[in-house]
Amino acid sequence: MNELIPLMVIVPLMAALLISAFSRFNTVTKIFALVVAICLPIIPLASNYGLHYFGGYEPILDNVTNAVYHPAITYSFTFLQQVFIAMVGLLTFLVVFIYLTKYRKVSGPYLFLLFLGTAAVTAMLLTDDIFHMFVFFEILALAQVGIVAASSINYSYEMALKYMILGSIGSPMMLLGIGFLLAMTGTVNVTDIAAAVHNGLINVTSPVFLMSLALIFFGWLYASGLPPFHTIKSGIYSKAEPHGAALLQSFTVISMISIVLIMFRIYSTLPIFEVLIVFFSILAMILGVSMALTQTDFRRMIGFLAVGELGFIGLGIGLGTQFSITAGLFQALNEIMITALLFIGFGAIVNATNEVDTRKLGGLLAYHPKVSLMLLIGGLAMAGVPPLSGFQSKLMLVQASLSCGFPEISILAIMVSIATFVVFVKTYYSMFLKPKPNDLEVENKEVPRAMIFAMGILLIIIILLGIFPDIVINGISNFVGGIL
Amino acid sequence: MKLYDQIFNVVKQFRKLFSPGPVTNADVSGSITAEIFLIVSLVLSAILLRHVNMLLAGIVTFILAIVLISNIPLIPKFKLEQEDSLEKMLFYAIITISILVAFLYWGGNLV
Repeated sequence: MNELIPLMVIVPLMAALLISAFSRFNTVTKIFALVVAICLPIIPLASNYGLHYFGGYEPILDNVTNAVYHPAITYSFTFLQQVFIAMVGLLTFLVVFIYLTKYRKVSGPYLFLLFLGTAAVTAMLLTDDIFHMFVFFEILALAQVGIVAASSINYSYEMALKYMILGSIGSPMMLLGIGFLLAMTGTVNVTDIAAAVHNGLINVTSPVFLMSLALIFFGWLYASGLPPFHTIKSGIYSKAEPHGAALLQSFTVISMISIVLIMFRIYSTLPIFEVLIVFFSILAMILGVSMALTQTDFRRMIGFLAVGELGFIGLGIGLGTQFSITAGLFQALNEIMITALLFIGFGAIVNATNEVDTRKLGGLLAYHPKVSLMLLIGGLAMAGVPPLSGFQSKLMLVQASLSCGFPEISILAIMVSIATFVVFVKTYYSMFLKPKPNDLEVENKEVPRAMIFAMGILLIIIILLGIFPDIVINGISNFVGGIL
Repeated sequence: MKLYDQIFNVVKQFRKLFSPGPVTNADVSGSITAEIFLIVSLVLSAILLRHVNMLLAGIVTFILAIVLISNIPLIPKFKLEQEDSLEKMLFYAIITISILVAFLYWGGNLV
């Protein structure tokens, strides 16, 4: 059943093109988009683990050097890819479902962008080819810009344009770094490059190799929204439609882990690589959470919190042990779900009040008790309160940094969790618990059922993974053991 | 009373963060938390330098703590540098790539 591996990319890609081409048939477009969205989480769950060689070009064994070369673009599908692709597929389904039920006449180009983004992150996760990864990284960046520009929020065009301009620095730098690697190794296959590095075929201390690390690393900072790109990343989240922001943050997390895992396989022999990841992760945690504490726009506040949480993922990977990388990847999975829940939940509040300033909100507990309860649990999960999934991954990260001999990082991680809790309590109080301002008009008292459904699904997964984390931890740990 | 006055002045300066619009208790509490969090976390991060050199970590931590505390409030300055201005975003992006390239090119194999 390895034929299903390329279908994980081809299905959303073809769906995007078809929907865009036939978007004037509204009902057909809606039904087709829903069917494809349902298929997206099912395909990775139905597929077997394995490799797929495009064009059927099998690896070639060099009898002289005993080295194996991969001439084809190779897709590698293991438990890690399965769980992340299934999760992003589920999220795409929920977002498309919310979108289809929200509007009577759907926009083909908007659905095109949602499916295109999903196809791009899926390809980035699957590919073993660094140039192939870059191509989809570019496609993803364009899809993200489109999703933000397509929203009806003020200044969304401006924010999308800024993101694109910053991307015009980040992306070429990454491409240049990939070019340096190609020049040194003569291949763009990650397994071949990693083999060349680990077998001593190239000098890892050469300036060209170090420059390639600097340039690809900079591109990764752009893709991940780590400093100095944390401001624009939180900005694009706040200017997208809430369901679009839920998907955008999952794209960010998946592009972050897919690029960093490729970098890890190539550059892990250089100690400076892990130092850089830890440095930028700590910076993201500090800046993200401290900026979130001062926000009055709750969408921006969640955006900065999401950036702060990215720091936890980077921290786990930067510490470089099997346990810490497992913790970082588990944190990535949790962040995708928790932040999506918060974006959708707060989106329901925007839907009801048309207001994003926490100073002008209040008393919403009486109007939206279900949403407030689900948001409360989501916020507690993000802050790392037991027994929710965020607690399990953050506890693992604290244990990992302690066992690596960095108690300062453990303390910092706990402090960031506490500050995240403060941010959430402050916002929750402002929106739900304080008396309702006289001039606040709650327009649509009913929150769309699709939003409640999406939040419910995400909440169930968050609670399940909090109680039974081994469902995913064991598989992720085995994957990490394989790349170390 | 000097320290109290200094803290009170800091709180008064938080008003600039939230203009235009009213400043609520929750906002000021959040800003004070951010201020303390920023100072403590940066000082804590500086202690990580002990893995390079114990004396260096001590000196840097001590100097950083003095500089940060004597420059409160830090959050308005940080927020000003992290606003949605394209110029500032580009500035920090270019500074970062410059430092990264220079640091790795000349010192990447030293760590």
